[in-house]
Amino acid sequence: MDALERGQLTVMRIHFGAASALVAVAALLADWLLSDQVGTPLGIVTTPVLLLACYTAFVAPGRRYRAWGYAIDADNLRIARGVWYRVETIVPLARVQHIDISQGPVERACGVCRLVLHTAGTMHSRVVLPGLERARAEKMRSAIRARIGAGPL
Amino acid sequence: MSETVADQRVHPATIPLRFLKEVPSNLIGLPAIFAVVSDVGLGTVLLVAAATGAATLVVNWLKWRSFRYGVGSEDIVIESGLLHRTRRSIPFHRIQDIDIEQRLGQRLFGLAKVRIETGGSGKDEGVLDSVSLAEADHLRGVLRQVRGGALPIAEAEAQVPDALPVLAMPLDRVLLSGLFNFSLLYIAGLFALLQSFEPWLPFDIYDPGRWMGLIGADVAGRFSVVAIASVLVLAAGLGVLTGVLRILARDFGFRLTLEEESRFRRVRGLFTRSQSVIARDRIQLALVTDGPVRRQFDGADLSFQTLSAGAEGSGRQSVAPFSTTGQVEKVLSLAGAYRLPHEGELQMVSRRHVLRVDLAELLVPLPLILIAALFSPAALLLLPLLLLGAVGAVVSRRFHLHGLGDGLLFVRKGFWRRRLWIVPAENVQAVAVTRTLLQRWLGLATLHADTAGAATFDYPRIVDIRHDEAVALAATLIER
Repeated sequence: MDALERGQLTVMRIHFGAASALVAVAALLADWLLSDQVGTPLGIVTTPVLLLACYTAFVAPGRRYRAWGYAIDADNLRIARGVWYRVETIVPLARVQHIDISQGPVERACGVCRLVLHTAGTMHSRVVLPGLERARAEKMRSAIRARIGAGPL
Repeated sequence: MSETVADQRVHPATIPLRFLKEVPSNLIGLPAIFAVVSDVGLGTVLLVAAATGAATLVVNWLKWRSFRYGVGSEDIVIESGLLHRTRRSIPFHRIQDIDIEQRLGQRLFGLAKVRIETGGSGKDEGVLDSVSLAEADHLRGVLRQVRGGALPIAEAEAQVPDALPVLAMPLDRVLLSGLFNFSLLYIAGLFALLQSFEPWLPFDIYDPGRWMGLIGADVAGRFSVVAIASVLVLAAGLGVLTGVLRILARDFGFRLTLEEESRFRRVRGLFTRSQSVIARDRIQLALVTDGPVRRQFDGADLSFQTLSAGAEGSGRQSVAPFSTTGQVEKVLSLAGAYRLPHEGELQMVSRRHVLRVDLAELLVPLPLILIAALFSPAALLLLPLLLLGAVGAVVSRRFHLHGLGDGLLFVRKGFWRRRLWIVPAENVQAVAVTRTLLQRWLGLATLHADTAGAATFDYPRIVDIRHDEAVALAATLIER
């Protein structure tokens, strides 16, 4: 399986880092309020939350990034992801209804984009493959587009 | 923009019908209003009621006048709106199904509601409420024939489709199937309704003495074993009764026919008569539901999952309620390449499934119970439940079967409510193989087969199949 672009690791670090920082600030605030109102010792909330935030900010993005992988051949796109709960999705290209390429501001800054496959399915009506280089995503899109409608609906 | 002229109106009897339908919701507000302004005579009350009624009638008439439709050579056009006019054109080639429904009031007037299904997400995309039954049949015939541009309208009208009777449900079967739809949910609903009207009721619904009084146990305000048992019996009786009535209302006069070997037509209903069409090539999968007791009465239920979101939830259409195996087989074979699995064709999931369930119990519930026991030893009484779970895993494994034959994926699941999914591999839109931490340790996986129009929780998946088997099965599934 192919790995995602390195740029995606930066994207994940930024997203995870921002979320962790937000939670850490909220914990600090709760800690301060608790010790002020109830008189609990400082750090009773912050310490465990901060430990967890350290994991999600510094360890989780790397693990999550390494868990992603994809492989495309003439007929199928396979996508693997998930650290604790592993998910491997296989989408027959002939079943794809349409394809989008999308890119958020952070992704744009890091030079990656997302390929979104829409199928007629229910749970997998939207299959997302992030962390692709623009040129690569567009190549995949045209390859998949050539296959759309080749199979029965 | 199409050239089609929208020059037809729905039936004028729609005006009084809609009025009658809206009466309860319009009048329900009146007592509240008069509770606020209390010092008014009966005359004023009637006057206000009459004025409200007249205003509703006028609004309904205006709505009726502004709603027009027309059938052209390529599309059907619907125009609506009083001030803000909307013109909607539905091209014939986008039409998938045309459903006809007759409520009780509509049946009195010989009217029907026509719903044009396009497979789009908007549910009320093309609804004609109401036209005469003859017009509904005519519309359906025309729209079906000209769809795809195969026939000009004049010729299409002359053709009468040949219909092959497939299945009919006699009244005794309907009643019997009602017994299996025992549900206390409706009683809960009844109580909720009673509660909202409680201020006006002559008795207190939460006064147990009253309830027991109803069945002769003379214990005002004091519980006794007899009283509790009587209440339970009463509740069970009500549950059975509501189940029977509900199924009777839904499945009375159930008839399934096959037209031109390409689509099923289903007619059913006691008060609301509904006609639905299920096109054969839109069927995504077949689902057979039965259970250990139902089996004794030959009462399996077959439904098809279709692309279009049907009137009742998740695009699943019941085509053979409470039927014998022979009947289910017949409908399946008429639907195309569907069949029931042969004896011994299906296999169980890995033995490690039992181990996985046991380990899951050891990891979470057991420590929880032990911790709880530190505070209250009574928690230890919960331990037998764990044993029950372990036994349950053995049983559930025996009833969780899967197999792949003739391009069909079979998945069977459940002991009490046994479901059998029959999925043609070509209808599988995506396959996912998932593994939790525990499954990874044991080399197990869950295989999910995603189809169009599937239900959110009740879909074909094989839990705790060996990982290498799951990968191989996934590969075979998408090969087709």
